[in-house]
Formats: sequence, C-alpha cells, structure tokens
Amino acid sequence: MAGVYVYSDNTELCGELIALARTSEQEVCAVTMSDQQGSELAKYGPDTIFVLKGQNHAAESYSGAIAKLLTDQDASLFLAGATVRGRDIAAQVAAKMKAGLISEAGSVNFCNGKISAARYMYGGLTEQVEEGKGLTVITVPSGRYAAVNNDSVKSVVVSMTVDTDPRIKITGSSPIVKEGADLSKAGRIVCVGMGFDKKEDLVIAHKLAEALGAEVGCTRCIAEDRGWMPAETYIGISGAVVKPDLYIALGVSGQIQHTFGVRDSKIIVGVNNNEKATIFGVSDYGIVGDLYEIAPLLADAIKNI
Amino acid sequence: MSGEDKFDVIIIGAGPAGTACAYTLAKEGKNVLVIERGTAAGSKNVTGGRFYTYALDLVEPGLWEDAALERKVTHEQIMMMAGEQSITIDYSNPAFNKSGEMPQSFTILRAVFDEWFASKAEEQGAVIACGIKVDGLIEEAGRITGVKAGGDEMFADLVIAADGVNSMIARQAGLVPELSDKTIGVGVKEIIELPAKTIEERFHLKSGEGASLLMLGCTEGIHGGGFLYTNNESISLGCVFTPSEAASHGRQVHDIFQDLKMHPSIYPLIEGGKTVEYGAHLVREEGYRGIPKKLYRDGLMVIGEAAGFVLNIGYTIRGIDLAIVSGVAAARAVISGKNPGPAYFEELNNIKLLPSMKAVDGYFDLLEIHRLYETYPKVASGVFNKMYSISGETPVSIKKGIWGVLKDNKVSLWQLVKDGIRGYRSI
Amino acid sequence: MSNVIVCFKWVKAEDDLRIDPATLAVDLSKAKGKISDYDRNAIEAARIASESAGSETIALTFGSNDAKTALKDALSRGPKQAFWVNDVSAENADGFVTANMLAAAIRKIGSYSLIVCGEGAADTYAHQVGPRIGALLDIPVISFVKEMRIEGSRLYAVRKLEDSLEQVEADLPAVVTVLPEINPAPIPGLKAVLEGGKKPVTEFKIQDLDLEDGDTSRKTDVVSFKGCSMSRKKILINEGDAKEKVTALVAALKKEGVL
Repeated sequence: MAGVYVYSDNTELCGELIALARTSEQEVCAVTMSDQQGSELAKYGPDTIFVLKGQNHAAESYSGAIAKLLTDQDASLFLAGATVRGRDIAAQVAAKMKAGLISEAGSVNFCNGKISAARYMYGGLTEQVEEGKGLTVITVPSGRYAAVNNDSVKSVVVSMTVDTDPRIKITGSSPIVKEGADLSKAGRIVCVGMGFDKKEDLVIAHKLAEALGAEVGCTRCIAEDRGWMPAETYIGISGAVVKPDLYIALGVSGQIQHTFGVRDSKIIVGVNNNEKATIFGVSDYGIVGDLYEIAPLLADAIKNI
Repeated sequence: MSGEDKFDVIIIGAGPAGTACAYTLAKEGKNVLVIERGTAAGSKNVTGGRFYTYALDLVEPGLWEDAALERKVTHEQIMMMAGEQSITIDYSNPAFNKSGEMPQSFTILRAVFDEWFASKAEEQGAVIACGIKVDGLIEEAGRITGVKAGGDEMFADLVIAADGVNSMIARQAGLVPELSDKTIGVGVKEIIELPAKTIEERFHLKSGEGASLLMLGCTEGIHGGGFLYTNNESISLGCVFTPSEAASHGRQVHDIFQDLKMHPSIYPLIEGGKTVEYGAHLVREEGYRGIPKKLYRDGLMVIGEAAGFVLNIGYTIRGIDLAIVSGVAAARAVISGKNPGPAYFEELNNIKLLPSMKAVDGYFDLLEIHRLYETYPKVASGVFNKMYSISGETPVSIKKGIWGVLKDNKVSLWQLVKDGIRGYRSI
Repeated sequence: MSNVIVCFKWVKAEDDLRIDPATLAVDLSKAKGKISDYDRNAIEAARIASESAGSETIALTFGSNDAKTALKDALSRGPKQAFWVNDVSAENADGFVTANMLAAAIRKIGSYSLIVCGEGAADTYAHQVGPRIGALLDIPVISFVKEMRIEGSRLYAVRKLEDSLEQVEADLPAVVTVLPEINPAPIPGLKAVLEGGKKPVTEFKIQDLDLEDGDTSRKTDVVSFKGCSMSRKKILINEGDAKEKVTALVAALKKEGVL
C-alpha cells in the first residue's frame, strides 16, 4: 500500500513522525523491529504497523529489509527520526533505493503532491529548502512536531519475517553516565568558553550558576581540547542543542558551531573582553568586560534580588 | 642533514618582499622554500591598499598585466580637516595613466594580491608552505644555517627574513633592535564594501579608475593621518598615528577611527557600505633613518618591512613597492654569487631603493611638527571660512582675516617662519 | 591488511559567508575553502588505523578545481597518496551524487579494507555519505564511532548513541563514520607540509568511473537557499564601571522576565 512510512528507535519521536505523516493525507505506516514498540506505537494511530522480525537485533541491520518493504509497498516517503540509528538507517535505505535524503529537516511540507523540507546548513547560518523527486527519505529531529494520541484509528499490525544483515554484531552496550545535568531540558545555562585561563577558575561559572539555579555547559574546545568538562556538557552542532530561557556565555567567542546549539534560547547574554567577539552579534545583551570581574559581580547581584 | 631537509634559500614570510625574492630566485633555478604563518599568503595581512606598478615590472616585465589589482589610481587627493571643516586638493595627471602604457599605481586588496603573487612564485618553482610558524633560527658557529618550526628543523645556505614590521627573526638574529613606540605608528583599517557604481559616482571616477585620498588633521593633533583607497567594490579606510601620543591625549585608537568615519566629509563617501574586514597593523615612521645598520649577517638577510623599507611621507605612503624591490635586490645579490652582505647593499643602491629613501629623508623632520596635525589644518580652514562666509556684513580684508585666524590658533609669525624653513629644508 | 581510504570534503569556510541582511541572499563567492572540520579528525583516525595495521592510508575527495589546494592539505596530514574525482558538479551535489562518485572511485582504487568518513560535513552536516557508501559497496557500516581498533580482519568499535555507548564489531572491509572526539586532528608541521606537496595525486574524471545513468544527477531539487536571520537584540551594555554594567544587565533581564 502506498503511503508514508515512518521509523524511529525513539518511540515518542516515532509518534511525532506519525503526526507529521498524517498531514500528508496519505496512508501512514509505522515500521518497527519489536513487538513491544509495535504495541506502544498503536496509541498514535498509524494505519498499519509493520513489525519486522529478523535474526540480528542491531537495528541498522534492517536497512535492507526496510528498503525492500518500501519498494514492495510502493511507498512515497520514508520519514526517520534523526537519532544516531535513524540517520544511519535512513542513509543506507536511501542508497539502496537510489533515493534522495533530506537530513535533519526542521520542517516538512506536503503541497500539491510534492514533498519539501527545510534544513539548516553552514552551522545554522543558512537554510535550504529541498523538494523530493520520487520516493524521498527525510530525517526529522525530535521536538519539531507534537505527538498526538489517536484512538480513532485502529492500527493493523502486520508481522513479517525479514532478512537482516548478519555482518554487524552488537556485543555490548553501556549507558553514558551523564556527569553533567541534562542541558537540553535546563531552563538556565551558564556556558564556559576559552576565556577561562585554567580549570580551577571554572568555580566562577559554578558560583554564578548556583546563584541563578542554572546548569553549567561549555564549548567544544573546553570539553575536547582542554578536557576540563565532560563531553556531554558541550553545546553546539555536534554536541548538546539547548533552549533555555536564559543563556549566559562567559568568555565564549561565539563560533557558529557553538551558537547553533543555543539559537532557540529565549535570551542570550554574552560576556567577553573582546568587543569584536562574534558572540555579541548573536546576543540579546552583551557586556564587554573581564569575565573574572563581571561573573562574581553578577552572582552577587542575583543573590541580592 | 639530508638533501630532503636542505634548500638553497629559506624565506620567512610570503608577503610581497618574500614572494618577490622567491620568484626571482626560483626563476634562476634556485631551490627556494617560503614559510608563511597564515593559512594562505596574504591571509594575515591588513596593510596596503596602494601599490606602485614599476616594482612588479622589476620582478618580471609585463607581470602586472596578469596581477590581481583593483583600480588604477587616477586621482591623488589630500584633505585637510579641522573639526567639521575640510579642504580637499585633487590632483589628476593623465600622463600617469597613458593608454597602452603601464599605469603608475593601483589600489590592491592584499589578501587577493598576495595569494595571486605567491601562486606566480610557485609556478616558477618556489615551494610555499603555509600555516607554519617559524619559532627560531638555527645557528652553528656564528652562522645561521636554518630554521626551527614546531619540532622540525630545515636547513639552507641562506635564510631571508621577510616577516614584516615587527620581525621576530631579525630581532633574534640581533640585526634589528626592539621597535620604539616613538618611531612606530599604529594603523587601523576597515574594508567597506560598496557597489562599483556607487564608488565611481562618489569619487567621480570612470570604470577601472581609482582615487587615493590622504587626510591630515583627523587625528586631533596626534602625529598621524588618515587614508582612503577605492578598490573595485570596496573602500579601504584607515588611519595611522603614534600610539604613545594618543595615550597621552587620553584617546583610544578605535575612537579616533570612529570619529574619522563619522566626519561630514568622509561619511558620505562610505555611507551604506558594509565593513567586511577590520585590522590593526604597526607602521614604521622613520623612513631612511629607520633602516637598521646591518641587514645581513652570516647566513641571514633581512628584506621588506622587516628591514624598515617603508615610507610615510605625508602625501603618500609606500611600502609594498619598496618591499618587492628589496626582495628583488636580495635575490639578485644571491644570484650574483658574490659575498651576499655587500652584494645586497650594492643591489639596494643599484635598484635605487636606498637612494630614493634617502632623498625624502628630511620629511621625517617635517612630520615631527605637531602643528601639522592640528593647527595648520585649522588655520587653513579658518582662512577658507573667512573667504567663503558671506552674510551681507562688511567683510574684513583677507590679510586681516588671515592674521586673525593665526592669532586665534596661537600661531606666531616666528613659528610660521621656522616651520616654513624646516619644511623647505626637508624637501 | 590492505589500504585504509579516508574520504574528505573541501567546503566553504562558514566564517566567510556573506549574507545580505535585507534579502538574506547568500554570497559564497568570497568564501575560502577548507577541509571540513570533522574530516580532519577522520584523516588522523585513518592514519592511526593504517599505522597500527601496517597498511597505507589513501585520501579521496570529490571536488571541483577548487579542491586542488585540499589535496596538498590532506596529504600533509599523513596519507601516502590521494585520489581526486574532479568535476564541477561537486559544488552542488547532494549525498546521493557524492556517495555514487566516491563509491565508484573506491571500486576503481580496488584494494581497501577500511573506509573512514567524518560523521558529517561542516557545510551540510547531513550524515549520509558514509552509510551510503557502505550500502553501495555492500559492506558493513558502523557509524558515529568514538573508538576503534583492528585485530586481524575484524574491526572493533565503540559507537556513541544518544544515551549509551555500544560495542560493535564487523569483518573488514567496512565503512566507519567517526566522531571528532575519536582523536585530535594535529596541525601538520613544516616537514609534513613539504612532504604533502610531493605525494602523488591521481585525478579521475567522471567518465573514468563506472557509473550508471542518473548516478550523477541530484535526487532532490534545491528550492531556496538563504541566510537565517538570528534576530537578537544585540544590546551592548557599555556605560559605567563593571558594577554599573552588571546592575544594568540585571535590570534588563528582570524586565525580560528571565530572572
């Protein structure tokens, strides 16, 4: 059956994709590799849930089976959640089907039978809108669309045995011990940049964060080059993408790889001693000054509110 | 040391001096390595704006025709400013730009020009390594035998320092002393983008033509001046002044430059433009007497701005052409096979670099006169003010007016005569 | 073990992009090129992998004439030789075209045991070329790798997922896409830069490659490409000493309702 096929290893994101797929006014089919996720997806009301069953439990080993399903069913669109697994599967499916792939689409539109999607390029400096030709694959990050519980549709569940790629073997998995807080949900963030001279000085950022009730994040250089903070706490295009109400950048130069990760913040404050620093161009409020002087004063001022 | 690690000549810096030298040497079959700190030739560069074509012809006749140049300079302008007033002199001489002949001077964008020039030297066989910072020289038994960069060592028969105004290499080798802040100017420059048509309208230029404008009286009495060059689709605007004096006036570099941009005679020229580049640079201000006594020691030569080859003589600023000429002179000295030190000096004389710098040496004295940067522009504007103020009242005589203006500006006849004599002597 | 091939992309430096604030039109013409940031880590990862396995690293790129500078740069980072699919279509290729070109070039190079790609490119950050190459060559793909080692003909890797690390293994030949954190990307030294200029580069034209009809045309049409306006207030608090500035900031933040 033609229609829009959706997949994500993240069940809630899969719900978001189902809601998006509904706007196409086509059949909506969810693809999963487990009975458990299949039953969880029912509440979002896809028309059909395909449960693919293979030998290999690595999700990526199903990309051939998914491509075959899409071909057999004459699908018009494959939407995958832009998680690590989703990106990998989407690219392999697209290659196998000689299809175009629009990655990390911020928005997807169905108009006159055509599919178009907008995505950021150059670290969020530019936006490109692409239109699919024939079967198209699109990956969508979480949080772009709202999942909707839909009882009105009784999903048909189709279980099928498929061939999986036996060549990849997952031999173990360990949770990432988050040393810092979950920045993606933080309401206030103090960010540490290369303006800090030594690791001990980070206490200044922590004191300000304490006064604000904020979490502390950092730029990639602080985490990866200097190793002062855990990798999970760096903010940017390849790190955490955050959207706090208040984001305070201390000694952050403001490279776009970093500012991409804070673009959805409500208020951005930059503190930098270089008045030409890029951060001031993307801040709501900027103070040209020494963070070693400004941050403690700010912490005191906030405590006294 | 293996053959892999040894060159005939290593040149530090791929600016106009280093590249001209490398071009000339490579063309003669020398095995040349140029080491550039920036990721590309010209990428660390904020100077320039104006270039005299003869120098490129010295490197290779006709090379200029292929060069990455902006506009040929057809209008030489000097503006004297006093507060919001200004007087502009515009000199144009078609003889400088006869059709079919090499134009005398062009405006250039250094990032573009340097990269083009370096690619030409590469075509001649020079090896250019970018993105490498030279940490120091290798000295063996009193002779410079190579350079150190990162963990690497590279050897050569001769090392040439072309690393710019504040040459770390020449200082390390003991040839050039620390720069004194009294003889050094700070230059700030912005490149402001505007459509070619707008530039041509504002400066009354034909397509391909350019203006060079120097400004006096824009630095609030501080030793210095401003400059403006028209490029194809941008304007280079900047000012140069002595930082120690600015500090004693309690003024920041940035503020003085902002005031210049906002001046009623300058703002309309740049209005609506977009600043795409900002930079600061040191400029030697001593001319001939700033050239170090020794530009050579065993195994090391100094060329370009590192050797003090720059002229700031009020009505024009020259550095790029002198840099190129010094690079060619050094290369010719090497090729001659003579004792390089004396041969280099001989070539600097043959090529007329030292003589031309000496000829204008007196300007340094003239430019020392502080009244030049504040009082005299004020006096001149004051006189024009008297001449052009027409209100229906009976005017005072011009002669009386001039005396009044001099008095207002506290200039005595004696000072005027003294500065006049000093000025006359200096030229 | 045979060659390790590392694919890299020559991209326009985002710092040099010009965006017209009124029309949001993007001017790329003045932008300088650079090796995509994450690919620099990938080149180093490939160098380390081939060194440990005693094989040779080969750099491969698909780019227009502009990419010529890239080859020297890439070769100064360790690979012994480079291959370059030179075609102007690279400038607006999508992941479909790029992967087709690279996979065809890899088939032509012939002998390989590991293909290394960066997780995404600095311009598009689309995360697709690596896994696509694996699918086209029909070899296993391990993406988003933060650690890897080779033992005999088997690859052991640690992948980084959203909230877990995953140990994965596969037989070679395979494709890996690597995270920048896999290893630093050292800046090449003087000797490395000089050596890079002397190493062999093989240039392929499209007609040299075994491609099917349609492999060289984009699968999506670009409808628009424009700058994003990050509309921020950009208020610089300049007045007074540090204390007064802080007081002014706190007042402003209160007014914004974020304190």
